Amino acid sequence: MTHRQLMVLGLGLTLGVAACRKQPPPAAPPPAAQPQTPTQAPPPAANTNNAAPGGRNTGPAGPTAAEMAAKASLEAKVYFEYDASTIRDDAQNLLRSKVPILQANPQVRIRIEGHADERGSTEYNLALGNRRAEAVRQFLVDLGIPGDRFTILSYGEERPQAMGDNETAWSQNRRAEFVITAGEPIRAP
Amino acid sequence: MRAAVNDRVVRLGSAFLVLMGLTASRALAQVPDSLAGVSLSAAYGAGNVQLPLAFKPFEGRFGGGPTVAPQVQGIMAKDLKLSDRYRVLDSLPASLIGSGPLNYDVWEQANAKWLLTGQVEGSGTSFVLRLQLHDVISRSVLQQQQFTLPAPTSPDFRMAVHRVSDQVVQWTHKEPGMAATRIAYSAGTGGFKEIYAADSDGENRQRLTNYGNLAMSPSWSPDGRRLVFSAVPKDADQWGIYEMDMSTQRATKLPIVREGGLYSPVFDPRGQVIAFSVQGGTRGGLYTYNVDRRCCLTNLLESARIEGSPTFSPDGRWIAFETDRFSTKTPQVMRLPATGGNAELVSNYTPGEGYYTSPDWNPRGDQVAYHGRTTESGSFQIFVRTIGGPLRQLTSEGNNEDPSWAPDGRHIVFRSVRRDGQGLFIVDTITGTIRPFMTGIEVRTPDWSSSIAAGAGGL
Repeated sequence: MTHRQLMVLGLGLTLGVAACRKQPPPAAPPPAAQPQTPTQAPPPAANTNNAAPGGRNTGPAGPTAAEMAAKASLEAKVYFEYDASTIRDDAQNLLRSKVPILQANPQVRIRIEGHADERGSTEYNLALGNRRAEAVRQFLVDLGIPGDRFTILSYGEERPQAMGDNETAWSQNRRAEFVITAGEPIRAP
Repeated sequence: MRAAVNDRVVRLGSAFLVLMGLTASRALAQVPDSLAGVSLSAAYGAGNVQLPLAFKPFEGRFGGGPTVAPQVQGIMAKDLKLSDRYRVLDSLPASLIGSGPLNYDVWEQANAKWLLTGQVEGSGTSFVLRLQLHDVISRSVLQQQQFTLPAPTSPDFRMAVHRVSDQVVQWTHKEPGMAATRIAYSAGTGGFKEIYAADSDGENRQRLTNYGNLAMSPSWSPDGRRLVFSAVPKDADQWGIYEMDMSTQRATKLPIVREGGLYSPVFDPRGQVIAFSVQGGTRGGLYTYNVDRRCCLTNLLESARIEGSPTFSPDGRWIAFETDRFSTKTPQVMRLPATGGNAELVSNYTPGEGYYTSPDWNPRGDQVAYHGRTTESGSFQIFVRTIGGPLRQLTSEGNNEDPSWAPDGRHIVFRSVRRDGQGLFIVDTITGTIRPFMTGIEVRTPDWSSSIAAGAGGL
């Protein structure tokens, strides 16, 4: 597990988000996350320092559970088939769930990062990662989100999420990630 | 760094040849079409003759010190071994060779065909090396030349000696050598990669960039004075193309305004124009750009597919590249005129089969090296395709990618993950020997320079 991945997981940990459906979260500092089933909808009543049962914010500064869920949903990754940049059915559902959040947060800008598994050439995988990220952007544009809210960046095969010389690892590495570059905090739709 | 170089040569032992034969016949039985006409690297031509070349210990002094003569000799002996053209006799016992005047009988008894003798003389910032190449059998001097070399403290010293080594190759084989060259590559761990370069003998390893993110696909200008590469520095939005002046080691981003990711730049044989790949945006495909004049962005091939890893033919008339236009699962190598036009296949495409990427055109112009595999579950190997002719497979162990030809047209550096470790390895396409160049590092996209011009700097 990479350092980067730990950080990404750390952000979403308190919610047990759908983004992590392929991998159990690592041991984490308290508050411990309650594992949840994968879902596109904002999870109910996650246990956090700031959110009381029912999702209401008890502190003046922190985001509500609904806001954190919206952010996690926005950041949830999508996965691809081998050597393909077509959007899978499960990825289509996940991308559709981002649309109301993007519409409720017109100030938000996102970098879509495309990744490939280690097979194939370095340069081919850079192109493939770029193409996957472009395919995701186009899907969101087709759902009505302005394309200039996204930038595209390929990491090719250079930032695997899972290590290993097998399909289990590869399937987790063929992915697009979503990095919020401007417009936080995220409002719940 | 000396420690990073391993001189051990992995020779194709007879058992290995048998193993390769078995592997080949098994593969042939499974996928007859994709391997038809492939000859494995066991079959070699008459170039596989390594005639014995001896060194009589070089004599003379530079300034007050006795060390420069053996230093020059040591660099040259290693270069000539690495050339794979000789059986180098450089450590015969002093009792055998004596210290007196040249006695051909001694060298004939040592079974040397060629003998190199050298004398150094000088002081200050430079010295003179007088070098003689003898034919031991005919007891005559075949060639002799006087070289002015910078002092060993000069950063140009080793490269200047490498040029002398290449002169010896020219004398004996009338072909270009590969000693006075550098290999640039991308390396790093944890998802971060920078551009590095090292001399052909593994010395003078240098990190050239410090972007804190990813830098890939270096390509040397023909004179070795400049590098272009693709990079996305920390906090940058997208991949761009950068040019580095090797004398200052400063890089600048080329002002190419084109939406999308800009990848895999490569210099044309005149060193004025680069070709590169644009992925994404509204007009992806293959482009050229005049680096010297900072102008003339030209779209050679507009495509929404992957059209990448361009490489020029040495006459500058063609560009070979990889394309997934047939299927994303079976990318192929094609070529098109360097001014644009219709593309034709270089790899031998059978629908649904093969995966061939990362072409690199050889200096002679008749062959393209690339890597690939014949089946989806197969490992990646290095191939050499003679244009319109046969295909040879050069590797059979581990996974092997990103071939780049040396200017001698004989050696290929490539990235490999194999039993000997991961890193850069060099295959001699004549003898089939494979040796590690730099191992124990996570590395990508090596590019072997042409002969580095004197005064190119950055060494």
